[in-house]
Amino acid sequence: MSDTEIANPPATPETTGTTPVTARRSTAARVAPLIGWAVLLLVLFLTPVYVPGEWLSVLCWIMAGGVAAMGLTMLIGQAGQFSLGQAFFLLLGGVTYTVLAADGDAEYIGFGLPPLVALIGTIIISGLAGAAFAPISGRLRGIYLGVASLSLVFLGYYLSHELPMLAGSASSGRYAPTFSVPGFDFGETNPQLLLLNVPMGAAERQFWLFAGLTVIAYLVGQGAMKGRVGRGWRAVRDNEAVATVMGVSVPGEKAKAFAISSAYGGLAGVMVVWWYSGLMKPDEAVELGTYSTYTTIALLAMCVIGGLGSLGGAIAGSALVFGLPLALPLLTGSNQTVDASGTAFTPIVITNLVFGILIVLIVLFEPRGLAGLGTRLRNLIRR
Amino acid sequence: MILLSISDLAVRYGRSVKAMHGVSFDVPDQSVVAVLGSNGAGKSTLLRAISGTLSLHGGEITNGTIELDGTRIDRMDPAAIVRRGLGQVPENRQVFSRMSVEENLRAGGLATPPSRRAAARAAVLDMFPKLADRASQPAGLLSGGEQQMLAIGRAMMGEPKVLLLDEPSLGLAPLIIEQIGRTVTEINERGTTVVLVEQNAMMALTVAHTAVVLEVGELKLRGDADELKASEDIQRLYLGGHAESEEHADAEQGEAAERLERRRKSLKVWSA
Repeated sequence: MSDTEIANPPATPETTGTTPVTARRSTAARVAPLIGWAVLLLVLFLTPVYVPGEWLSVLCWIMAGGVAAMGLTMLIGQAGQFSLGQAFFLLLGGVTYTVLAADGDAEYIGFGLPPLVALIGTIIISGLAGAAFAPISGRLRGIYLGVASLSLVFLGYYLSHELPMLAGSASSGRYAPTFSVPGFDFGETNPQLLLLNVPMGAAERQFWLFAGLTVIAYLVGQGAMKGRVGRGWRAVRDNEAVATVMGVSVPGEKAKAFAISSAYGGLAGVMVVWWYSGLMKPDEAVELGTYSTYTTIALLAMCVIGGLGSLGGAIAGSALVFGLPLALPLLTGSNQTVDASGTAFTPIVITNLVFGILIVLIVLFEPRGLAGLGTRLRNLIRR
Repeated sequence: MILLSISDLAVRYGRSVKAMHGVSFDVPDQSVVAVLGSNGAGKSTLLRAISGTLSLHGGEITNGTIELDGTRIDRMDPAAIVRRGLGQVPENRQVFSRMSVEENLRAGGLATPPSRRAAARAAVLDMFPKLADRASQPAGLLSGGEQQMLAIGRAMMGEPKVLLLDEPSLGLAPLIIEQIGRTVTEINERGTTVVLVEQNAMMALTVAHTAVVLEVGELKLRGDADELKASEDIQRLYLGGHAESEEHADAEQGEAAERLERRRKSLKVWSA
């Protein structure tokens, strides 16, 4: 052991000798994130005033994808499981919210619950559905679990077509109410609201709602990861046998991870329905669409690009994977010009190229993804 | 008082591999019991049976009972066994290498009630002050000896009544092995009963009060550690260096030299 002592001589004096310095630093370290959060919340609050509506819509779409990816990145990066089924939980969340919140009639089943109750119910039901997958997720691992969970996407596609009274028909869909709390509508302009003389319309209100939900999802996830829950997950991820002899119930931790990840997927599913102004419409093909295998892979790509296990990375990944296809037409003028130019480089193709190249580069040079790059930058600045 | 009691234990892997049968012995409270044996004797199987983790390795208990503090644990879930006061330091240390030292310790306390966690942590850091210095380092960067200390500390975070140690000396330098021996004694003096599985019989018998010897899944010998240390069987099998065995070794060496000579001769045929 003496060799390591010699190898790391500065470690001991720094950590033991200077208690007052570390105490002062820890106060600063405690206050800095609070200030950071306050600034961030203020920026988020004022964003609708300065950013035009179509860009707010892009940001909202990024946040919906970010919430789904946060759930997935916890499952993969923290609990060491693998899932290609997150798009199914988007669909499940969207359908559940629609059924709970919409009014029923001859054609559709609906309970007409208040949106807030429906939202909470959706999150709980999505989590339970994820836990119900536990007997499978506990027995399989790696690519086997990935393929098994991918089957959920196909199951969702099949069920949504078989049960139009729940999910709406694939051609026209059905409508769910947008979010509102008593006295304030987020999807409409009721009541009228002016902020710094700018009217806050549906897009602005939706941005606030999405930003609020994303911040809550982030904080809850961060809390889970930093606490006992995350520690149990990482123990299981790193060594199941040892986690077992630490008194951790391995099947229990795996089920918990799947349940929480699915609950995030369900919440994101509700956000997707809101983003479409309340339209719940199943995909017309299983390969391409809102709840398709394409989406499930896109969500996985967000996690890899962002850095597995990092919540902030998941949002950054979503900004690239979900944000680029919407942002590029806005940047280049409009969709028509791109199509009329006669090239194959549509925003979606460019996005696919970008995140394909990014995945290769990240796997090669920075396996911790955008989150890893962020950490490096922060360390550079601190020096 | 008997804290851990194993009676007539039989273990099977898969359908046909009988790894252990008819093993019985008791572990008195506050004692250190060494389990000796060569490779494949069934030492690890015994520990897996006690900690309830046989199923992770495709094995099962086919006969016999294991009691911890008067409760049968041989049909219990491993997590429940840990909560009843059984801690384990796995073979090859197996620290969570991507986690920091601090996180490893906290992971060890996952099953400990929140009210007792701080006390457990203080006791562990008191025993291994070095772990406090290295709290924020990734556990994978520690030296082998430090990792072993961390693995022991992690198990102690669960405040076990009985601590199972699986070959803590494996792959470590003699000086560190001595230190681990002292650590085991200290843990025992602080009130924890220890079951020490070892190939390093010298260290194990120095530390232990009593010892059992396993051979191909059966209990071969059992007795006082000092007596076993003096016994010829043990000397010959595990300690080496006895007058008779030296003679034997000389004879063997002569034979080996002869064999080598013969091989050289045959080689000459080919090289000529």
